[in-house]
Amino acid sequence: MNLGLLTGIETEYGLFVEGRTPTDQVEDAAEFVRSHLGPSFVGWNYDHESPRNDLRGFKLERLSVDPEDWKFESGSRVRQSDAAVRSDRVMHNGGRYYNDHGHPEYATPECLDTADLVCHDLAGHATLRHCATQFTERTGRRCKVYKNNTDFHGASYGTHESYLVPRAVGFEALYAAVMPMLVARTILCGAGKACAESGEPCDFQLSQRADFFMESANAETLYRRPIFNTRDEPHADPRKWMRLHVISGDANMNPNATARKVSLMHIALRLAEAGHAPRWPLADPVRAIRQISRDTTRKFETPEGVSAYAILDSYLEAAVQHLDLCSRGREALDEIARVMNWVRSLDDQAIGAVDWVAKEYLLRAFSGDLDGRAVDLAYCDLDRDEGLYYGLAAAGMVPDLDDLVELTEAPPTRAAWRALALERWPEAVRAVTWSSLTLAVGSGEIEVALPPDIAAPPNPESILSVEDFITELERCNA
Amino acid sequence: MPERINRPKPAEPERKLGEDEGPKNPNLQKPSLPNELLRRMKNIDPDQAKKYRQRSGQ
Repeated sequence: MNLGLLTGIETEYGLFVEGRTPTDQVEDAAEFVRSHLGPSFVGWNYDHESPRNDLRGFKLERLSVDPEDWKFESGSRVRQSDAAVRSDRVMHNGGRYYNDHGHPEYATPECLDTADLVCHDLAGHATLRHCATQFTERTGRRCKVYKNNTDFHGASYGTHESYLVPRAVGFEALYAAVMPMLVARTILCGAGKACAESGEPCDFQLSQRADFFMESANAETLYRRPIFNTRDEPHADPRKWMRLHVISGDANMNPNATARKVSLMHIALRLAEAGHAPRWPLADPVRAIRQISRDTTRKFETPEGVSAYAILDSYLEAAVQHLDLCSRGREALDEIARVMNWVRSLDDQAIGAVDWVAKEYLLRAFSGDLDGRAVDLAYCDLDRDEGLYYGLAAAGMVPDLDDLVELTEAPPTRAAWRALALERWPEAVRAVTWSSLTLAVGSGEIEVALPPDIAAPPNPESILSVEDFITELERCNA
Repeated sequence: MPERINRPKPAEPERKLGEDEGPKNPNLQKPSLPNELLRRMKNIDPDQAKKYRQRSGQ
């Protein structure tokens, strides 16, 4: 589906290194990222980043840290420069790969098309697998990489979605349109989790992240996490754009679930922009998402008795009525409705479409034989020979698209400009951000803007020099 | 605005030592598994979740 919303996904992967502890993890993750042998650029420019700005018009003095996690930080034995710790790489497909708080993090390039975005998310799998092999060869330490969001001991790490939205939509309309969707989409996009890490104990729940939400909306990401993150860091002209930074979603193994969670957000955002988003004021979204996540009755109702099915149905109906959908957009809506019916009717076909249903199936199958959390981890194991998701794929029960991914081609967005410069003139690239490139020209340097609505270079083969590149970029920006 | 409503805050998740028992599983019929899944199941380290500790991320 392509509703014209520039979108990216950043996934912090779980990294288990045999014989090591969380105190070692920042060092290990940095070494892990540096194990990447493919083409990449080192030189990310952090000057434009502003994680303390809030969409509601103020700036936080500081972001909270997890006091338990800080104990690991203060016990760390190795002191490295910030750059060495981050080990930031810009990939030649326009994406980014770095160490974030002890997690290898893969950020896709910005995509307009959902299918492109899923391919780039899968390219992250390949990158992490490659690094796991290299890391073991370099260090002699066996490691495991998990695409999940919890360690079952109270530590969580995110899979974030970024959606560029016109600033004119406004915070209030954005919040009203998005919050019900963030809560309700859990029933179709949750990755599933054995156990609970806060609140009422349970054996199984739909969401990896629901236990970690403490507030409806704030700008935090590490502690007192919100369902609706208000960080205002658009990576674009802030007068025209804001970026909705969604931190409440789960990491999905099933690529169709990844596509679904993004398509649902695109629908909510376009309806917000058009002024036709359904109205579902939720009195307590945190309680609602926790309740839906743990609902063994499968009614999936909020505390006020509204079902997630009804919420999602209303968005699909509004999309048909008010959005200009192409044939692929209508197919995406049909898929969402079909999967929702499978979930509602306990149809086994949902195993192949929804991660939490597949995980619950495995937990039932392994009942009594294994700790459910070990099964949960094995489901998210990126090792194609050992991971249970890939075992389901080998049995034809879930899709496996990992092998179909073109790893190097950038999507036809501003990422294509970034990728073109890195591929053709790597020696001239001095610094990279999401919204600009700094290039060496003659005896000086020039920073050129990459606006979010620029198309890919129309004739890249005709661009023969850095000077041509800048001229063509300025022509397209005009 | 919604974020300004004062209500009791849920507690942060408690850190556990990894010694608690695993969950009981949903009380539904136990399915039979394809051979490939059974092979992988035998390779699962039953203590992996107890050993698996991570730093808090974003």
